[in-house]
Amino acid sequence: MRTLYYLFQTAVKNFWHEKLINALTVLTVALGLMILGAFTLITLNMDLSLRQWAKGFGLIVYLKDNMTLEDVELLKEYFKKDKDIIEVNYISKDEALKELKQTLGAANPILGGFEENPLPSSFELRLERRALEPLRIKQKAEHIRQIAWVEDVQYGEKWLSSLNSLSKGINVIAIILGSVIFIATAFVTYSTIKILFYRRAEEIETLKLLGATRSFIMLPFLIEGLFIGILGGIIGLFTLQGIYMFATSKIIEFLPSIKGATTSFPFTAYLLPPFTGALMSLIGSIFAVGRIRY
Amino acid sequence: MIQLSNVSKYFDNEYVLKDITFLIDKGALVYITGPSGAGKTTLLRLIYMAERPDEGNIIVAGWDIGKLSRNSIPFLRRSIGVVFQDFRLLQNITIFDNVALALRVQGGRPKDIKETVSGLLSDIGLKYKANDFPQHLSGGQQQMAAIARAVVSKPMLLIADEPTGNLDPDASANIMKLFREINLRGTTVVIATHHRELFRDTGKRVIYLENGRIGKDTIG
Ligand SMILES: Nc1ncnc2c1ncn2[C@@H]1O[C@H](COP(=O)(O)OP(=O)(O)O)[C@@H](O)[C@H]1O
Ligand SMILES: [Mg+2]
Repeated sequence: MRTLYYLFQTAVKNFWHEKLINALTVLTVALGLMILGAFTLITLNMDLSLRQWAKGFGLIVYLKDNMTLEDVELLKEYFKKDKDIIEVNYISKDEALKELKQTLGAANPILGGFEENPLPSSFELRLERRALEPLRIKQKAEHIRQIAWVEDVQYGEKWLSSLNSLSKGINVIAIILGSVIFIATAFVTYSTIKILFYRRAEEIETLKLLGATRSFIMLPFLIEGLFIGILGGIIGLFTLQGIYMFATSKIIEFLPSIKGATTSFPFTAYLLPPFTGALMSLIGSIFAVGRIRY
Repeated sequence: MIQLSNVSKYFDNEYVLKDITFLIDKGALVYITGPSGAGKTTLLRLIYMAERPDEGNIIVAGWDIGKLSRNSIPFLRRSIGVVFQDFRLLQNITIFDNVALALRVQGGRPKDIKETVSGLLSDIGLKYKANDFPQHLSGGQQQMAAIARAVVSKPMLLIADEPTGNLDPDASANIMKLFREINLRGTTVVIATHHRELFRDTGKRVIYLENGRIGKDTIG
């Protein structure tokens, strides 16, 4: 324990002794983690927006005219049992007409041409977010279409699939970028620790002669690497938070309607940069120090 | 304390040490001498395990070095102090911390370390330099501090490779006096030097190396 304390002190001293190179490394790591954090935020916001849009997304099931009220109830129960469906709305012929009148204006001449209400009754089904896969939703629609009372099923097929590929694309980019930054962070720390290790080569030889164990020699370097990662993460985090708050306030200024669609700075984004930084820098330092030979 | 049996060491297929056999008793003070390039440094490096012999056996403090696992080297090194011509003090820590380092690698208690190191620095007259950095000390003082670091953990064996090579005659005399004192307290001391004045008329054993072989083994 006391040895650990001493090694920690040594790491602090060494870190301070090599201020310049360490500061540069910290800033590089900070920049990388900031980009990583930014992408996490964009992904999270994108996902949130998709979820909100998805709330308004549903299947419209047009029904045949000859249904009794009991049939309607039966069908409603059937839909409600489906786990993918989170909301079931029945719209009768009359309601549909009322809606149409409201949209078009009651005096619209289009409406005058019909003796009888031409609109079908329908169900509006809102779906769970996870069910909003193009393929899955298509199967669902086909399935519902098989039901005897159903005339037709409609949904925003093209819109859904483009939204879906957009979301997937962003995820892929985030994963690739994330991995690149992970590796870059590890590598940047690796190079710095390697340089520091070589600079202290004589010192290390002396330590070995004094009977220092491997961990006694290694630990200050690993702790120094950890400092780099954590500091870089924290600096990156606060810069990112500043930029994010500034950016969202500006966006809301111009686009007030988007307000609900942005997340507040989420907890994940707080933890991610320092954590990633620490982990990757530690890995980098472990590789940099390598195997100490006697 | 040290036993070499038919030890040879090669670099680039040329021998640097050939068929060396000798025994150094516990508590002895022994000089190893010979011209530059004779193999003195290599011989010492074999003893403190910085090199491994290509042939023969080395036994130090009862340990057969050839059979020692690499992981136990640090622990055996703690019973051997080593001193060099160029002092090898760490430049960015104080004299006190340099000496204390030998105890810290062993995980000593801070309070004990402080006591032991302060006491030792007082004994050798360097107490007033304890908080200075090595570059603020004379060569002789730095070597004193390096010797203090080598013996602070009370090793059984002290090895010195040309310890006076960078020092003026006065400082050299002081250093040699310190080695004799350390030896009198029971530590086995081995000093490699090519300065004949250091061992002339000391009455101590002198091993002469010539081209990697033992030429003479006499009393100085
Ligand atoms: N690591 C090494 N690689 C190759 N040759 C070496 C190495 N170390 C020492 N030598 C050679 O071994 C010989 C003895 O060197 P050394 O032991 O330093 O002698 P001394 O200390 O007596 O001057 C010299 O010829 C030197 O060049
Ligand atoms: Mg030499």
